Amino acid sequence: TAGNRIFHFGACRVSMSMTEIRAGFTAIKANIQARDPIRTLSILSYPHSLHKVKSSDRCCITHHLFNFYVDRVFKHCKTEDSYVNRKISSIANSFLSVRRKLRQCNEHNQCMCGQESTEKFKQILANYEGLNVTSAAMKSLGELDILLDWME
Amino acid sequence: EDALLPAPQNISILSTNMKHFLTWSPVIIQGETVRYSVQFQGEYEREYANESWIPISECSLITGTVCNITEDISATVAYNLRVRADVGPRRSEWGTLKGLFNRVTTSLTPPLMKVIADGYHLLVELEDMGPAFQFRVLYWKKAQERRVQQKVVKEVRSVVHLDTMEAGAEYCVRAQTHVEAINRSSSFSQTQCVRAQGDKSMWL
Amino acid sequence: SGELYCSLLNPRNVRFESVNMKNVLHWSAPEGTGNGILYKVKYSVYGVGKWIRKPECRNINRTWCDLSSETSDYEEQYYASVKAFLNGMFSDWVETTRFNPLTDTKIDPPMLSVSSTEKSISIILTAPAKWKNSPEEESISLLQVYPGLQYNVSVLNKKTKKRWFFSISNHTLVVPWLEPGTAYCVSAQIHVTTPLLDSDFTKEHCIATLKDK
Repeated sequence: TAGNRIFHFGACRVSMSMTEIRAGFTAIKANIQARDPIRTLSILSYPHSLHKVKSSDRCCITHHLFNFYVDRVFKHCKTEDSYVNRKISSIANSFLSVRRKLRQCNEHNQCMCGQESTEKFKQILANYEGLNVTSAAMKSLGELDILLDWME
Repeated sequence: EDALLPAPQNISILSTNMKHFLTWSPVIIQGETVRYSVQFQGEYEREYANESWIPISECSLITGTVCNITEDISATVAYNLRVRADVGPRRSEWGTLKGLFNRVTTSLTPPLMKVIADGYHLLVELEDMGPAFQFRVLYWKKAQERRVQQKVVKEVRSVVHLDTMEAGAEYCVRAQTHVEAINRSSSFSQTQCVRAQGDKSMWL
Repeated sequence: SGELYCSLLNPRNVRFESVNMKNVLHWSAPEGTGNGILYKVKYSVYGVGKWIRKPECRNINRTWCDLSSETSDYEEQYYASVKAFLNGMFSDWVETTRFNPLTDTKIDPPMLSVSSTEKSISIILTAPAKWKNSPEEESISLLQVYPGLQYNVSVLNKKTKKRWFFSISNHTLVVPWLEPGTAYCVSAQIHVTTPLLDSDFTKEHCIATLKDK
């Protein structure tokens, strides 16, 4: 069910539900990942997995990643499939409302960016910019479960 | 040149218990079948995707004047909606919903509920209202209104066990729905009371 | 001169079948082929450059290969691939979709132990353990993998035919104040909310409350 959970990002606690995002992604996961032929590269987990990020840096990385998906990923993921486009819209709009909640942490200065998260996010952008924009966007969207698994 | 087809009017949303429907008045063209198509635009599309619109395939060239948009209104942000009419090659302008729609405004009704006493056990049967819903169930021993107990039921599966009851005692129950996604609750249902089996001496 | 190009039809339906994170690659033989076909298997960690051969699944004639050990880190995702060959002919490599052990595994029902007194029944539930390489290895409960794991328990009164449901997070449930000398049947399932994973219900464990003294 769409139960909220309390997410702990270091000092920041946010009550939100990822269930709808996860349901939207699960519905199109096979379709989106099939459009990404590059097995040898990952945007989010290369060279280091998100799971290696320190607890104190979790809020900053999460905030950066939500901005990254809203600003740079979803808009380049339009497909010829109307159903997939509607699910991407659902995920993108859900990202907006989750991001709004994450901003609470920023406003309470609980979302400090340490060296590690800054480096990690730079690496993610480098991975992204290493591919042409459509491939990079589609690969990032296909890795949404990596972000969700790590957050949850 | 054919007169321009009028755009659909009186476009509005009916939203109850997180089920959202777009409705509009029919465009009347004598002797013709008018078909309608619906599109939506979320906050994301307005702010980040050049104000693009997304068609709802289930409501493409339909003859009815109602469209179930629940599946697409799946985030707690403001949505724009529009409808246009088609008759053969003729096409109307878009008729757009006045104001934006956010599912946070959906109306929530109290849950249908049936309270059951099965021996010394207090049980409740709740209506399945879909995955977005949880139920906050309050129960108390009659005349002890200050000692109310609560159970949050996240998944509805026919009969849910609430608690055990003292022999012969009367217990009352009422419930409300809660939707985490919009952080709102319905009003409470009517209170229902039932009596446990046996008489009070059973407890001595 | 045109080189005679002999190729075999591809293996079909190449996919992971996973239960409690025991991750086994399965496939079907190429269409219309008889016996004698052999296969080889390789796998890769998503995002890492190389394909790795699985020696124990080289030149095999069965149509499955246990990759549990190679895919046991559930913070990673994987691909696997199969190639068929026969008398010098061989097929293409055929890949799985991307496999995420955390979300793509199926969870077994919990283990149930039920006991009764005159007026109550006690139920102890145990979540299955994650697959492990060897008996000596430390057992990891799926409860540790899925912290939001819950149990849905159903209790059926065989006399009244009424069924009650309980949703609990801890692993014990005592149902008091029951009728003496009455048969109750219990079954339970595991429920994980995110990712959304439900096990099947266990078969029913029936027990009678003791007769009134």
